Amino acid sequence: MQLKVLLPEERSIELEELPDLVAASAAIEPFDESIVNVAIELSRRIFQDEEARKYPELLALAYWMRKTEIVRLAAQFRSLQLEDRVLVPRGLIFHLPPRNVDTIFVYSWLLAALTGNRSIIRLSPQRSGSTSILLRLLRETLATAVEPARTGTIIVSYGHEEEPTALLSAMCDARVIWGGDQTVEIIRRSPIGPSAREITFPDRYSLSVIKTDAYLGLSEKQRESLAHQFFNDAFWFDQMACSSPRLVVWCGTDSEARTASTDFFSRVAGRAEHQHYFLPPAVSMQKLVFTCSAIITSPVEECQRYKDLTVMKLTSLTGFSRNHPGGGLFFNARLDTLLDLASFISRKDQTLTWFGFAPAELHALVRRLNGRAIDRIVPIGRALQFHRFWDGYDLLQEFCRCVHVDSAPVGGISSVSEV
Amino acid sequence: MTLDDLISLPQYSLPQAQKESALLAELIRLSDRHVERSAEYARLTKVLFSGRSQPKSLSELPYLPVGLFKEHLLSSVSQSDVFKILESSGTTGQRPSRIVLDRETAQLQTLALSRIMTSALGPNRLPMLLIDSADLIRDRRQFNARAAGLLGMSNFGRNHVYALDHDLEPILPEVKNFLSRFGHAPFLIFGFTFLVWSRFYKQLENAGLDLSNGILIHSGGWKKLQDQAVSAADFRAALGNAMGLKRIYNFYGMVEQVGSIFLEGDDGYLYPPNFADVIIRDPNTLEEVPQGQPGVIEVLSALPRSYPGHCLLTEDLGVVHAVDSSSCGRLGKAFSVVGRIPAAELRGCSDVIAAKVS
Repeated sequence: MQLKVLLPEERSIELEELPDLVAASAAIEPFDESIVNVAIELSRRIFQDEEARKYPELLALAYWMRKTEIVRLAAQFRSLQLEDRVLVPRGLIFHLPPRNVDTIFVYSWLLAALTGNRSIIRLSPQRSGSTSILLRLLRETLATAVEPARTGTIIVSYGHEEEPTALLSAMCDARVIWGGDQTVEIIRRSPIGPSAREITFPDRYSLSVIKTDAYLGLSEKQRESLAHQFFNDAFWFDQMACSSPRLVVWCGTDSEARTASTDFFSRVAGRAEHQHYFLPPAVSMQKLVFTCSAIITSPVEECQRYKDLTVMKLTSLTGFSRNHPGGGLFFNARLDTLLDLASFISRKDQTLTWFGFAPAELHALVRRLNGRAIDRIVPIGRALQFHRFWDGYDLLQEFCRCVHVDSAPVGGISSVSEV
Repeated sequence: MTLDDLISLPQYSLPQAQKESALLAELIRLSDRHVERSAEYARLTKVLFSGRSQPKSLSELPYLPVGLFKEHLLSSVSQSDVFKILESSGTTGQRPSRIVLDRETAQLQTLALSRIMTSALGPNRLPMLLIDSADLIRDRRQFNARAAGLLGMSNFGRNHVYALDHDLEPILPEVKNFLSRFGHAPFLIFGFTFLVWSRFYKQLENAGLDLSNGILIHSGGWKKLQDQAVSAADFRAALGNAMGLKRIYNFYGMVEQVGSIFLEGDDGYLYPPNFADVIIRDPNTLEEVPQGQPGVIEVLSALPRSYPGHCLLTEDLGVVHAVDSSSCGRLGKAFSVVGRIPAAELRGCSDVIAAKVS
């Protein structure tokens, strides 16, 4: 079969040529100057590109990989290495990013590349506008880069064929599967080598918690700003990103929670209207079917429908279903305290965005959960902000092997000859 | 005016205002009935339409999305009164709609359909040519909405002849034989739009068939023909030119509201019968849109008594072109179906690789 190479340059190749293509790329020392410069240069190009600037998620990406951030990342990496521990690249990383969150492939690739790995990325033949822009900018950036960074990245594109996936899986030292449970299941039909490792990103669910009295204590302006942050978290990817909130839990009394949530959601709806959020009619219909279905099967007490927003108030979180259609639908519930949330949390729950809680309260929740779920706790407004810590992994560490170096001589024997 | 009146009065004879007030009273009674008998419907209307007082117009009546019948079996009759459960054909990978019928509703549907058909065909059964394969209704394992449609329509004809073989190839001798026996006087042709076009017209356009006494009734949607860039006007013109067919009636209907179909008038627009209506809504706000503006079609029908499907928001887009002012003498709303709501896919973390393979 044939497949398309998209980077370093666009061309078609036969499947049999793939191993040579991958083998030709070079490995680098972690945070080698050449690769650091690629990151910074890509960031600069995104900021300056007129097309790219139309996409807020691309600007977020560029901001995330600007120079200050890369320098900070390099320092964090150095601090992971102690005297007896040297982090070295795993080798070849095979990335299978999701088709629909366009920027993920760059985050995944960048952390692998900065830690010195070679990368092969599979993109779907159907690509969105922002993916094509990213691809173009990445191609331009790498074309002007110096070795060894210049040749460490290959991007290919093919459909649902198993052969290239099987081939690359057998060759790679680590495989990164984004894209949910079904994708993980399907890709796993192709084995990786015995010494390779796998990083998977299955389907996740995310929610927000807001302390009611803290919210009611906010000024008009602050409430607007919180609603704006929440809107960004939820709507940038049509509420379909794993870390976008779908359930909002208010902690406080019943009457306060009622007042606060009504105020909050009408502001979020206003924000959606203000930003001219557009929901495709087909999704709007799916949302209505989902809403009706939820009313039949769940303890929905009230349903408030705004133009692009549906809010369903639950009387209880017991047996809460994590199914969700996306596109601006929120469940709304109330608990007395944050710790009460623990019994309703399940393995699927990933990001908890919060407002109004003290650090001790958040830490207490993590301890109460004790690893059962929740991999990120970030303020409302940072749900989509990518981080080296993601889904319970430290990606800086995951992309490296850890070489143990014990340099202390045993029992007074020294090989260093004394002169 | 009762439901019986709406059914028995000449169809398309009521001015919109008069029809609306009669239909509104009937649909409010029907809503109350479903609230009493279906716990799910009672919950849905309470939660979704709670703030609404007694509806003052058809657009204020609670409605359900048609897709809900794919996920839930909604019934307003006891188990022992279930006469039949209708299933939509549904596209692959999709769950079919399931519609609960009791004897009363099934009878109403048959009666209503016949009132609509006789308005176009006259009171007598006509010889009938079916553009489909007889195997479809013989094979009970494959009995689906298409077969049900064929059987339902068969009631309006006699001396039935199926024009296609098992592989949906035309059987020219059968067709010629039918025409030599019945072609000199009015006869009925029925088939699904796409089959009429691709398996009958396209294969036989040069066969010299004379269908000038035929009345073609067809349905099933334009999607496949739109993909081939064939419009309703092209369809009419082609069949008229090649086969002399002049009377062609498309109809719009769905398994979720069997019986209350919307039949084309001579002006090419679709018309609701007395006991049904359409409302066009904005797909996002769900508010009714002004005449002339496209939107999602809501279909209303006074027939569904065994399931709460009397007001349904479809997944089709349509436009109301005129009210009480058609050129073919029909009163009420004249509308057309623009097509399905275009499929859309949200972005998100789930890759479509998986969705497609599984």
